[in-house]
Amino acid sequence: MNRPSAPHRESDAARGETVANPSAGSKIKGLKCRECGRLYPAVAMHICEFCFGPLEVDYDYEAIAGRLSRRSIEEGPKSLWRYHELLPVTGAPTVGLHAGMTPLVHAKRLGKVLGLDNLYLKNDTVNHPTLSFKDRVVAVAMTRARELGFDTVACASTGNLANSVSAHAASVGMKCFVFIPHDLEAGKILGNLIYHPTVVAVRGNYDDVNRLCSEIGGEYPWAFVNINIRPYYAEGSKSLAFETAEQLGWRVPDQVVVPIASGSLLTKIWKGFQEFSKLGIVPANPALRVNGAQAEGCSPVYRAFVSGKNHLVPVKPNTIAKSLAIGNPADGFYSLDVVFKSKGAIAAATDPEIVEGMKLLAETEGIFAETAGGVTVASLKKLCEEGRIGRSELTVAYITGNGLKTMEALTGALPEPVAIDASLSSFRKNVNPSN
Amino acid sequence: MTQMRLHLTFPEERVREPIVYEICKNFPVVVNIRRADISDDSGWMELEMDGDLPDLERTVAYLRDRGIVVAPIEKSILEG
Repeated sequence: MNRPSAPHRESDAARGETVANPSAGSKIKGLKCRECGRLYPAVAMHICEFCFGPLEVDYDYEAIAGRLSRRSIEEGPKSLWRYHELLPVTGAPTVGLHAGMTPLVHAKRLGKVLGLDNLYLKNDTVNHPTLSFKDRVVAVAMTRARELGFDTVACASTGNLANSVSAHAASVGMKCFVFIPHDLEAGKILGNLIYHPTVVAVRGNYDDVNRLCSEIGGEYPWAFVNINIRPYYAEGSKSLAFETAEQLGWRVPDQVVVPIASGSLLTKIWKGFQEFSKLGIVPANPALRVNGAQAEGCSPVYRAFVSGKNHLVPVKPNTIAKSLAIGNPADGFYSLDVVFKSKGAIAAATDPEIVEGMKLLAETEGIFAETAGGVTVASLKKLCEEGRIGRSELTVAYITGNGLKTMEALTGALPEPVAIDASLSSFRKNVNPSN
Repeated sequence: MTQMRLHLTFPEERVREPIVYEICKNFPVVVNIRRADISDDSGWMELEMDGDLPDLERTVAYLRDRGIVVAPIEKSILEG
């Protein structure tokens, strides 16, 4: 059949085939289909042309093992780029130089409430520059995009991803297009407009935006971070596992709790620990259990887990946890697979439980997380109550975004300030100093 | 001529129906199944469809009317 117009296929230019020698560098062998194993060059593509399976970066672990050590990592920059050997870029990083190396907090007070003696929080609410874990994946995606010769970057996002892509594009002078549904609240757009990207408000529902972006991703020579650059973009999440292991004193935890949106984050954290073990950077911990956290109002992976099936049924999201509201997650099946394989579990939190989780985290650890953090804490609490996480187990929960971004979720959920007159007597009358 | 690469998710009540046959019978589009997994109570299929854009659009609308979830091959692209 003649195909003069094929909007869902990447052009040669969109793949970066004409602008770089993309497989240069000895650590990346190319891309590999996760389903059928077919190999492709390390260009800008994301789907196997044969079976439509997702593509993943194929590393030359033998070559990496010869260069990577705890010492080489410790001598690296204080950012995610200290793990450069296991990230899918061939040259020096050029975008997002300060992303990563966020604090790993020993959460003693929250642990006491939950009955955990060894609870840690990986605090990506303070990631640079846009206060969410997306700064990791975007730093990697855009560095790779520039290696492939792209001068324009794009994404479809209602929140954290758009923030991060816009900010990073501004920092290196790349052209930037952000696609959003036309009826998105004005406040959510402001955080992007400040970086001066082209924000395209698409008239239509979420399905329409998805479809249009899929077409644009195949038609224009742009680095669409979560479409044609996705194999590289997703790898940035591994840095959360690398940092966790290093900050724990080169150990793999017994339990991790990870929020699930597309499912990519959970699978890559698992992969990061596997890679470190395989390369001898940390001792393997066969006891590691990977647990997922979803908002009940958008929980296709949780529902599949509960039913014991590996088929996901797409849902229409209806939750305050907007950053996790992905109804038809690209990596849903793979995240479920990791949870089953590691003998972990998935819990889901209702909207009121999400707010309670945010409050509990803030009141016990002084960390103000966005709604996704509330999902993680509320789910962690449920997993503890169900006896799935033992008191002494080394447990890490991933807090992926800052609460300043989702203030509206707390409307009416917090006490009013104590209003007093500007007099000592009014203070004495109205304020209990022992509080 | 246009090509679409789609991910279809079938609800339980549609799993046993000959959807691909119906598409080919009712619309002038060429369907090429690349990957699928169907069980008793659910299933999905990844396929490419070639045809004129209006015919492809009508086919997608037909599938949605039947309760089948139709998404681009990337599924949900729009992220938080």
